[in-house]
Amino acid sequence: MMRPAPPNNLLLGSLGARDCEALLGEGGPVKLQAGTRVMTAGQRLAHVHFPIDCAISLLIEARDRPRLEIGLIGREGMLGVPLILGARQSSMSGFVQAPGMAWRVGATRFGRCFDASERLRRRMQCYAQVHILQLTEAAACKHFHRLAERLARWLLMSADRMQSSGLSLTHEYLSSVLGVRRAGTTLAARGLQERGLIEYSRGHITLLDRAGLESAACPCYAREKKLYEHVMR
Amino acid sequence: MPFGMVLYESGVVLRHIYFPVDSIVSLLHVLNNGASAEIAVVGNEGAVGVSLFMGGETTPSRAVVQSAGSAYRLSRARLKEEFGRHGQMLSVLLRYTQSLITQMAQTAVCNRHHALDQQLCRWLLLSLDRLDGNELQVTQELIASMIGVRREGVTEAAGRLQKLGVIRYSRGKIVVLDRPRLEALSCECYAVVKTETDRLLGPH
Repeated sequence: MMRPAPPNNLLLGSLGARDCEALLGEGGPVKLQAGTRVMTAGQRLAHVHFPIDCAISLLIEARDRPRLEIGLIGREGMLGVPLILGARQSSMSGFVQAPGMAWRVGATRFGRCFDASERLRRRMQCYAQVHILQLTEAAACKHFHRLAERLARWLLMSADRMQSSGLSLTHEYLSSVLGVRRAGTTLAARGLQERGLIEYSRGHITLLDRAGLESAACPCYAREKKLYEHVMR
Repeated sequence: MPFGMVLYESGVVLRHIYFPVDSIVSLLHVLNNGASAEIAVVGNEGAVGVSLFMGGETTPSRAVVQSAGSAYRLSRARLKEEFGRHGQMLSVLLRYTQSLITQMAQTAVCNRHHALDQQLCRWLLLSLDRLDGNELQVTQELIASMIGVRREGVTEAAGRLQKLGVIRYSRGKIVVLDRPRLEALSCECYAVVKTETDRLLGPH
């Protein structure tokens, strides 16, 4: 059976056709509902996911604290980096933030393809390096940049990953991204709205002015984009 | 490697990978305006310069010696040669990279969201684990620049720990007196990183 090409995930698209086919096998993509837990910190990874038009949030969970988002994975990447590095589990959890389709590959199959293809290993290691770069950026960004800048950056990242300018978001989730209370989140979103960059209503944000948002965002957005292109070229 | 030595700057092409023996190296993320924040510490459990084999070859972070000591270093060519032998080297380094990812992610949230006192405990413990003994040669300025806060904040936090009998602080030196207490006062970030590193790099 012919599968629709390209696979609509940039990382898969950057692989050779043979590696891609070996990874995906006969099955089609799966639909992921918002809020689904697709990776649990400290538990063996059963699958890796290559998002097509969904976005998966990487979170750090602690017993007595709200969850904190540390990364967002969409069509540019893959959830399950530990398997690339020979580990079986992650210290982070993955939740579907925006629903949509993703390719799902079992851990065993992934390992088999990985062992069989040097080219696939190299490609995946490059992606793991991108993942490290993203975490590095996130660390500094969370620390130094102002709330409004970080919100603008995060909205752009989300829009890129979902290929859409309309985002459905709960306040709780935005707070986990920004690491502030609800009131702070509301204030930051209202600020961007007053500048005509977004339209913001209960649980929904529409990006109105992309260029404006890019200049409102901290430099991390442009930096990370450039790094991704540099490593994955 | 003396204190303050820069092993590499962000953006340069890496020539060597370093394996600290009794030194500690900080990986710092440097922003366009020159401000920096520590994203990980590397000691005798790890290696500095994972980009060398991960791909991309350059790194966005700066590596600075935080505690003087020695390290082995391997050139890119020697490392490639070793990988070519298909021994344990690559798989060990990849597992280490995963533990580094854990440390980076945890540090990122810690720096933003945890109380300074907890961050200080986490930072002291991670450093202590990479050295023999219970003593750190370190100034408050250095700690402040690593955690990314003002020095006054570190002075106050260290003063509180000293009052509790957990550390003894004198000019340029911190002695840890009560390690279990220090662990209890730290946020969970320390335990997460420690457990994950031991699991990934312990006997396989």
